[in-house]
Amino acid sequence: MIGRANVGKTLFVINFAEYLGLDEIELVIRFPNGFSTAKRYAIDHARRELTGLGPHKTRCLQSVQLDIPHGKGRKRVQITDTAGLIDTIHQDVEVRRAIAQTLNALRQVDLLLHIIDPTGVAREGARAALGEVDYQVAQFAQLRGRYCILANKMDLPGAREGLQRLIRELPGLYIIPISALYKRGFKEVKAFVCRHS
Amino acid sequence: MVRKGSPARVSFSVGKVSYLLEKGDMSPVEALEILRQQEEQMAFRGEEEKARLLLEQSLQELDALVGLEPVKKLVRELQAFVQVQQLRRREGLLTEPLVLHMVFMGNPGTGKTTVARILGKIFREMGVLRKGHLVEVERADLVGEYIGHTAQKTREQVKKALGGILFIDEAYSLARGGEKDFGKESIDCLVKAMEDHKDNLILILAGYQREMAHFLRTNPGLRSRFPIHITFPDYTLEELLEIADLMLQQRDYQMDREAREELIKILRRYSGVDVENPGNARLVRNIIERAIRRQAVRLVGEEKLERKDLMTITLADIRDGEEG
Repeated sequence: MIGRANVGKTLFVINFAEYLGLDEIELVIRFPNGFSTAKRYAIDHARRELTGLGPHKTRCLQSVQLDIPHGKGRKRVQITDTAGLIDTIHQDVEVRRAIAQTLNALRQVDLLLHIIDPTGVAREGARAALGEVDYQVAQFAQLRGRYCILANKMDLPGAREGLQRLIRELPGLYIIPISALYKRGFKEVKAFVCRHS
Repeated sequence: MVRKGSPARVSFSVGKVSYLLEKGDMSPVEALEILRQQEEQMAFRGEEEKARLLLEQSLQELDALVGLEPVKKLVRELQAFVQVQQLRRREGLLTEPLVLHMVFMGNPGTGKTTVARILGKIFREMGVLRKGHLVEVERADLVGEYIGHTAQKTREQVKKALGGILFIDEAYSLARGGEKDFGKESIDCLVKAMEDHKDNLILILAGYQREMAHFLRTNPGLRSRFPIHITFPDYTLEELLEIADLMLQQRDYQMDREAREELIKILRRYSGVDVENPGNARLVRNIIERAIRRQAVRLVGEEKLERKDLMTITLADIRDGEEG
């Protein structure tokens, strides 16, 4: 999972795990200094503890292993939540370190899900809302393949208009409209992940 | 500050990009641009070149570790061996089978897991392993509680590690408890997995030197299946200080003279040959992290704080850091 700060990456990971039938998740947390730990959360607790209204809540890589039902069997995938990206240099060294860790991990993933908030696109226009960082991620990811954009917060006013602008701004890219909060669009995400893993 | 458009920056290693990002000398946008340009270059140069560049990055990561010279030398030898075997195969010459299962011997905190993780990446870039990830397990992850449970648990871990490295920490504990212990069943299951997945799995047994030597002596079948033995020496005092300086530098801190002398005293206490737990990188990390917390407690009530105060670790921080 990659995207700007505060677009709903963590909530998506938790709710996607719940959508796949988990009532608790084991989070493998990898800190920027190279150390890692695992923590088990009930889904409700994870939502309370790990998500918040402000940006930069996630400051390390947090992975969850998921078994996705596929045909007669299951596909095991590991989905990794990352620190939110920004265009500029953040003043907090911890955030900078977390962003460095995110970008470091970018090269090693098999599949990239890029979350974008289309409500901002509707309000401010695509160029202003997306910022340079989203364009760079999109360009990088297209070179690698196995990439899609999740247009989150589709439950909010203005999201539909934002989505239309997004489609015009990033032609040729696969965009799935979702609501991480209400678990909408998850079926399409599941299908995409299964197809490419 | 790294300027956009500077032609040299495309050749920056992942480590350098991370370093500049952390220091605040590069924005995420600039870093992404470099990654994209490197990706473009790689796509242009083809798969082989891409693997070479990634391999070079992994080797740089290994070289950046403090000390571990014999380990680094052996890894270079292994890399050369694998490469030559691949070239020989391409030319239709006889090749040695690539048996890369290893035994890592050394005290805790001497870099065994870190090196294993980097080896995973190196072998992935060389095409020996498909994924190159590391699955770290210990006795409790492999050995079950009733008949049949052990094989199931061991197989599960093997399955997770396929395409990468299964790293068994304190592997000698699998042989404790004698004949009736389920650990033996786990060893048998691992041996079978090594045969079944010989092209797609590397096993690393790790643990204290003395215990591992005894473990391998008492299991001769295992010994012959693990041709590579790497000994991780304890860090010297100078290396531990270098690690401490590096850790502080990465976090934007520095020690004053007295703090440094105190740290030397503490490390000296732990680094003698007759000491039960010789000094290691984890000890240094713990001292440094505690000292950073102590410094925060010391400073939090102060009214006038300068940049230098926020950066400096003093004697009291280190002393308390050790005790805390």
